Amino acid sequence: MVISQEAFGGGCSNSGETPDLIFNYDDTDTHPNEISELYSYTEQPELSLNVRAFEEQMESYNIPPSWQRLSPENQQSVVMKLLNQLEISNKSLRMRSARCILYLAQGCWAEMQSDAEQLQWTRKNVMLLCKFGTFSAFTDLLNIEIENNTAAHVAMRKIAVSLADSQDLRVILSVLYTIVEVIRNESNSDSNEYKEITESFINDIIYPDGEEIMIVKLLGMVTKFCSGAAPHFPMKKVLLLLWKLILISLGGMNALKNMKSEKRKKVGLPVYDEDTMEVVKSMRPSSPPASASDLLEAQNQKRNTRPFRRQILMKQSSLDDHDTLGNGMEMDSSMGSENNDEMNDLSEFYDRRVSENNENNQMYNASFQNRPPTPPPNIPGTIIVPRGLPWKPKVRQKEIDAFLDNSRLKFVGYSLHGDSTTLAGLPLPIHEGVKILKEHVYTSLSELQIQKEEEIARNPFSTSEGEIEMSKTEILYQAMFPNLPQYMIALLKILLAAAPTSKAKTDSINIMADILPEEMPMTVLQSMKLGIDVNRHKEIIVKAVSAILLLLLKHFKLNHIYQFEFMSQHLVFANCIPLVLKFFNQNIMAYVGAKNVIPILDFPSCVIGDQPELTVETLEIGDASPYSWRNIFSCINLLRILNKLTKWKHSRIMMLVVFKSAPILKRTLKVRHAMTQLYVLKLLKMQTKYLGRQWRKSNMKTISAIYQKVRHRLNDDWAFGNDLDARPWDFQAEECALRGSVDRFNNRRYSQVCDTDYEPVDNCLSSVLGVSYDLSESFTSNYELWLEQEVFSNSVDWDKLLEN
Amino acid sequence: MSKMKMADGSTILRRNRPGTKAEDFCHWPDEAYEEMDSTLAVQQCIQQLIRKDATNIELILKMPEALDEGVWKYEHLRQFCMELNGLAIRLQEECRPETCNQMTATEQWIFLCAAHKTPKECAAIDYTRHTLDGAACLLNSNKYFPSRVSIKESSVAKLGSVCRRVYRIFSHAYYHHRTIFDEFESETCLCKRFTHFVTKYNLMSKDNLIVPILGETTTGESEA
Repeated sequence: MVISQEAFGGGCSNSGETPDLIFNYDDTDTHPNEISELYSYTEQPELSLNVRAFEEQMESYNIPPSWQRLSPENQQSVVMKLLNQLEISNKSLRMRSARCILYLAQGCWAEMQSDAEQLQWTRKNVMLLCKFGTFSAFTDLLNIEIENNTAAHVAMRKIAVSLADSQDLRVILSVLYTIVEVIRNESNSDSNEYKEITESFINDIIYPDGEEIMIVKLLGMVTKFCSGAAPHFPMKKVLLLLWKLILISLGGMNALKNMKSEKRKKVGLPVYDEDTMEVVKSMRPSSPPASASDLLEAQNQKRNTRPFRRQILMKQSSLDDHDTLGNGMEMDSSMGSENNDEMNDLSEFYDRRVSENNENNQMYNASFQNRPPTPPPNIPGTIIVPRGLPWKPKVRQKEIDAFLDNSRLKFVGYSLHGDSTTLAGLPLPIHEGVKILKEHVYTSLSELQIQKEEEIARNPFSTSEGEIEMSKTEILYQAMFPNLPQYMIALLKILLAAAPTSKAKTDSINIMADILPEEMPMTVLQSMKLGIDVNRHKEIIVKAVSAILLLLLKHFKLNHIYQFEFMSQHLVFANCIPLVLKFFNQNIMAYVGAKNVIPILDFPSCVIGDQPELTVETLEIGDASPYSWRNIFSCINLLRILNKLTKWKHSRIMMLVVFKSAPILKRTLKVRHAMTQLYVLKLLKMQTKYLGRQWRKSNMKTISAIYQKVRHRLNDDWAFGNDLDARPWDFQAEECALRGSVDRFNNRRYSQVCDTDYEPVDNCLSSVLGVSYDLSESFTSNYELWLEQEVFSNSVDWDKLLEN
Repeated sequence: MSKMKMADGSTILRRNRPGTKAEDFCHWPDEAYEEMDSTLAVQQCIQQLIRKDATNIELILKMPEALDEGVWKYEHLRQFCMELNGLAIRLQEECRPETCNQMTATEQWIFLCAAHKTPKECAAIDYTRHTLDGAACLLNSNKYFPSRVSIKESSVAKLGSVCRRVYRIFSHAYYHHRTIFDEFESETCLCKRFTHFVTKYNLMSKDNLIVPILGETTTGESEA
């Protein structure tokens, strides 16, 4: 049985099991998918408006409406004329020109025979458009529409805002997004053909000449939308554009990795050669913790030799434990999944697959077998199961110091503060221990930055800040700083509204305005289509928001730890942690396997070639994927965000405990994808010591997965809670201290508010008298009385002042 | 502007000192472009050719060899904007916000003034001022044009939109203040030169060049 499982890439042949997910985490999905997600299915009828605009425009130029046949000179001339028309005051003419440009950016699909051809023309046309400054022309149009108060008032007075209210905005945003996405794709490719255009384009995004940064403008749109002042803003497109702009200007995973090693090199820290993404890719998913009924079944099959009696006892006790945690819903996982896990060695741990009654199984297996070309990811021989640990263990200097202090107190009887080298009087095993610890010490950039901050706080005059490097992230942070809290709240509000578990009635904001048609569907098929469309729309919004938050967190963290802390503190204050947990508190397998897509309606398939009639049968044609890329992507992003927010923060880890994240996270482990599991396990690891002995006892399988997959921190007592740092009464203080440091950092660097203690005292007579004070009316009319009573009648012996 | 040792030892100062009489303005001998030893040589060369014979457009627009085309285009556009200020000054005598409250050329199209964060309808004279100011800002921008010796291709791409916006000043003057336009044009041939310039370097579509140029037939594909 083991052999046949291996041959199918880890046990997918076994009926009733979920196969490992072959999912490659990346900055984005494929370029065609990213383009097609821009359009909702309800927008499809509008696509023909673009062709019509193009045809009308060409007719007015007396040119046949065939873009391909035009000479390059004529194409250029048309683009220049269109741009000229974009600056005229008559809105319908202006928007006709904008639609026409959108049609060009969409690759003139009416003339194309295949998707590939359309894609090629998109690229060509976008580069042509870029060359003539179309992006800035559309930025102007966007500004006009943002300021368009009549549209906002019309939308605000409506009961149901629909697709029609955002027509112009969607045209403009679609053009901007298409340009950005094509440039992003181009800058990732090896081709040098358009290198200069892409480079200068990317440069212009973050260094606009005296204008507002586009990213900040879009964030402003998001907050305006959330405040209810502009319900017609098409949020999905705004968020997608926002995400891609941040991605293209600040860079994705690779850029982050390179910048990190560069920065480490610069400050003289050793460069870590471990590539997180690569290590994760070579990991194999573990089988999820089983549910009780499966276990009983598996147990019979395995002819467990252990006495049944012990099993019963165990179940009993763990149930009790969970009741005390107030956790009725987690009955299944509480049912002692540990039976015989403890005994299993690691290899058996890999191979063992416990059958699961999951509704998605059938679909998974069927679609998996339908896809022969994809090689199973882990055929023995291609990927060797890593021997030993996947990650190099790390330890912080702080922890070495604590270890030394403890040892000294124990063996020598006194402590040496600030001395991390002297080993005098300590026994040999401690020497060895310190040696190993020192080999694994890891100093992060953040630690250095915090040190520097502390030094400046201690000696505000003698320690110089040094020149702040105006990196792209720094510029963006400065631009976002004044309104950053509002941006975070707005993004989370949208995330909440788009989460699959949120109820429609509790929505304070309606994110469906840019998808609902004016007329509601009449037939079953139409409502099915709209249902899928709505779910897809929400999924895309979650994808964009999660990616935006993660990207910003990562870049801020690399740029300066307190910029990261500022953002994360505002996320925490805006209840990001329970929100993400709420998100995962759903049938996660259903979410990951969701098929909210109608491939024949995706752009450009929906307009190229013969269109099969849309029926219930054709809804699913062309969808071969066993999972939803965007949903796994969002899940991983959200898990990473949660990790970023909680790492090393006791108060926030306590939130994970208080909000009962453990059962929710454990269910997420069912997703058979190593990276997803890794981030879940990390989240479980940090709270294990607070979950109690019973939890550990009944979750040994999860505990061993943590041992196996998550990086080891030397002398970190993560499982057993003997940690002194974890005293519950320190939690609020910790958060306040952090806030103090962050505020000090921000005030010093980004606001003009000066600490009056450090300002020179003003002792110039005329300037002191020149200051005007706000005096109350009664005082000004009766000041003479005051003068008489308080000043003249009180005799002051000035000489006394000198005596002292 | 530049000094030059003459054979007899006297130095020619190419500079208008305070107090220079009108007839002596820019009254110095020509210098060959190759001889010019200055970072402003291109501008000097263009101005010299214009002073000599403003009607000889072919010669003015003939690029010296071994010069970056981007720089050539940039310097010409700079010169156009400078000279256009002359037209703007004459226009403000007659073109007032009360009479020309919109930037139009032919009746159907009213243009938005792109000098604002949110483009809006400005009166024609305000459009003129704002656009010339905006052009001056862009052309002197340290970011896009840090050097006058070599210019990035991506910055050269910005020139097109400047031309497009600046040209509307000509067209407004032609269709609404014909006498001022004719008087100015006869002295400077500026519109004619501009038309030749944007056509030669493909900075604007021919169809958008709506001011007829004397002695030439406009050969646009159509009237937009």
